[in-house]
Parts: sequence; structure tokens; C-alpha cells
Amino acid sequence: MSLENVLKNWSKYRKGHEEGGFHDYEHMWGMSIDLDKCTGCNACSVACYAENNIAVVGEEKFSKGQGMHWLRIERYWDEPDLGEDKINEYQIHGASFIPMNCQQCNAATCEPVCPVAATYHTPDGLNAQVYNRCIGSRYCSNNCPYRLRYFNFFSYYEDSWPEPLQMQLNPDISVRDKGVMEKCTFCVQRIRKAKDEAAREDRDVFDGDVKTACQQSCATQAIVFGDLMDKNSAVTKVWAKHEVALGKSSQNKANPDNRGYRVLEGLNTDPCVMFLERVREV
Amino acid sequence: MPYGLIPGKVSQSIRNTVSRFNKVFGLLCLLVFFAGSASAEVPNAVPPKGDHDGKHVEQPIEFPHDIHARDNKINCMYCHTYARRNNVAGIPPTSKCMGCHTVIATDKPRIKKLTEYWVNKESPKWKKVHDLPDFVHFNHEKHLNRFIFNNEGMEVERADEVCAFCHGEVKEMTVARKVKPLTMGFCRQCHEDNNGPSDCWKCHK
Repeated sequence: MSLENVLKNWSKYRKGHEEGGFHDYEHMWGMSIDLDKCTGCNACSVACYAENNIAVVGEEKFSKGQGMHWLRIERYWDEPDLGEDKINEYQIHGASFIPMNCQQCNAATCEPVCPVAATYHTPDGLNAQVYNRCIGSRYCSNNCPYRLRYFNFFSYYEDSWPEPLQMQLNPDISVRDKGVMEKCTFCVQRIRKAKDEAAREDRDVFDGDVKTACQQSCATQAIVFGDLMDKNSAVTKVWAKHEVALGKSSQNKANPDNRGYRVLEGLNTDPCVMFLERVREV
Repeated sequence: MPYGLIPGKVSQSIRNTVSRFNKVFGLLCLLVFFAGSASAEVPNAVPPKGDHDGKHVEQPIEFPHDIHARDNKINCMYCHTYARRNNVAGIPPTSKCMGCHTVIATDKPRIKKLTEYWVNKESPKWKKVHDLPDFVHFNHEKHLNRFIFNNEGMEVERADEVCAFCHGEVKEMTVARKVKPLTMGFCRQCHEDNNGPSDCWKCHK
């Protein structure tokens, strides 16, 4: 979408929630992550680094909160208190993990605050980030309730891939320079490739044509990715089974089989990533 | 019969006039033909506008595009074979050159240089002439489908006219030179004229 298009159709892009989430989208890419299957092994995060040319910033910068992990595993403990006799630094039991990538909100809070329309919604329901348009105001990051946008404070590419590691860079996606915001794209280069292949064979994109890097590497197959507008796709079925839908902002937990929820649904950001986990009493 | 009086002289002058007329007329016809061919050759297409004066790029072998594409009428896609099915058009492998040049023009200095590369199992280090910034992901396949293969009334033999949209008249050059600006404005103008996509994430990602 050009800037002109964004300005002209602004209300259309912003009115997703009240109208049930969909407009005249071509696709609506969505994800479902089963937290009961997640072992917190970080393979998804590593795969994401490899696929998306994400810079490795090093321990010092990471500890300052400048890590560029588009997909991070957040770790929570059932009992934060280690008790009287603190033998271990960490608890042995009771860890739970949640992989957090960009939630691809339909009513994304990052979009309206961008002064240059570098972040916008694509016709396939993705929350896009255009690196060469970005001026680095960081408003989007500050407005993201999930803190899933990452800013290039330095030219990380200079040290991130020392010779000959630059040969491993993915040519389908840009290497970002200093002063640019970046985030999970749902592996847009793979989506585009699948769409190109489908166009070449004159057909629609089949369910399973697009596999995101995190999904591909997930050891327990906790991640399901697909088109939410395709009634027969695996991801649509998971969403429907657990009664999660775009446009809904709360879940009925009366049925013990319903494990689905979306993070911070009450904010009406209408994310496209759904998690499966029964809310437990600790 | 005024001309009958001095037939020889007059007929001579007439012949001169006619021949001059013929020359002028022929030239005019040629001009009209070229003008016509330049503006409305490729059907269902508005060529992008703009010019650029790119520098001459020194290549390991001075490849004569004019001999191949203009004189011998070899289709661009014979050598740049990936253009029709991939993002990049591709540089042909040396084996493709040698497919012809084991027998053709083997005594020419450029071919001798090429054969040297071939014998030493090295590839010439061709330099990129039409180099886009790394944040732009141009797709040759989509453009060729739109303007050649899925374009009614367009023959594949005339592919070079479509290539010329962005690469200029390469068949008139020896080593290719960048003669179109290839800026975002250049791309956007053409996309607007030809109803191309306007989603940022089509090219930038």
C-alpha cells in the first residue's frame, strides 16, 4: 500500500475489530501455539535468527535489553519464591514457557502512531514493517503492549556476520541497518514464495504451503500456521475448536476443553496468534 | 505537352525530383516507423519513463551484446535463462558460452580469452551493472509474465523490447550500461500506468 492508499483507506484498516476482523483481505495469516506442547527449547528462536537475518548483538548489549530476537521464549515460574533453603538459583520444577513473536494484531496499536506509515496492514492481513521507510522514531515500539518490536541501535550487521558468515544471509530479506525498527513478519518471504508458486501453477495457496521457520523447527509441532480465511485449514480448525475468533475479546472458560486464548485480548488489539493453555490455579 | 518540348532535360529534372522525393519520403517513412515502434510496440503496456547516464563498467571479457542480440537475433532469455522463472535473470554459465564457441569464432581474441577461462575451469568475474539496493526485491518472473507470456498479442521473439523497459537498448551496446534510472519513482510510475501492485511488501521486505 502506498502512503496515499493508507491515508485514503485509513478508517477501513482501523475498523477491523468492530466489523469482525475481516475486510476484503486476500488472506488472513494466523498462528496457533500449543503451550502444553512447548518445551521451551528455543529452537524456534534459533530458526528465526537463521531465517530472517537477525543480528546477534552479544551478551553485553543483550543485557541492556537490545536483543533482536523476533521470537523470544518468555519463562515464568509457578512459585516465584524459592523458599527458606535456597539451594538452587532457579526452581527445579514449575517452569512454563510462552514463545512470543509479533502478534500481527488486526487493530495494531503500532500502526496509527507511525509518523511515516512505515508500518501498515497488508492485503493479506499482515502487520508490515517497511525498513527503508522507517525513520526510527520508535513510537511503534513504545505503543506495542507486547514489546515485540526491536530497534537497531547500532549497525549490528558489521560484527554480526564476520567473514565468511555473511554467506549464510537469506537473500530474500533485507539486512537491517542502524536506526530501523524490525519485528516478526510471519516469514513474509515464504508467504510470498508460496503465493508466487501458486500463481505459477494457477491455483490457490494450499494449506501447508507456507511453513514459518519457527513452525518448521518446532520439535513438538506446537506451532500451527495457516490462512484463517481458508475454512479447511488446520489453523482455522484449531481456532474454531477452542472458540477463539477474530473480533472476540474474551474467552468462555466454562468448558474445560477450551484452552485457547490470545494474549492481552482485553486491549482489543485483535491478534492473529492464539495460544493453547488451560488457565491454572497455582 | 509542355514537357514534350525538351524531353531529355525535363525528364531528367523530373527524375531528380522523384528520386529526391523518394529519398525524403523513405526517410519520413522510416522515421514514422521508428517513432511508431518506439511508442506502441509492446501491447497492453506503458513503458516506464526516464533516462540515466550510467558509467561504462569494465568486464573481464568485453561481451558484445550487439553481435548476439542484434546481429544474430538471439533471444535475451536464451542466455539469461532464469528471468522467466525466478527473481533474478542470471548470468549464463561458461558452459553455455562454450556450447556455441567451441565451433563459432574461435579465432577471435575475446573467445580465446573465454576459452582460457573454460580450460582453467574458472568463471569470469562478471560485474553487476543493474544493481538495485539490497532492500529492493525485484522479480523478473512476474514482469515477464505480465508483459510477455500472459500478454495477449505479444510474441516471445520480441522479448528484448520488454527487457528494454528497464535495461535500455542493450542490443545496441557491447557491454551493458545502465541507461534507466531504476529508482523507486521510476518503478512506481510504471506500476501506476500498468496497474501494478502498490503494496510496499511486494518489493521491500
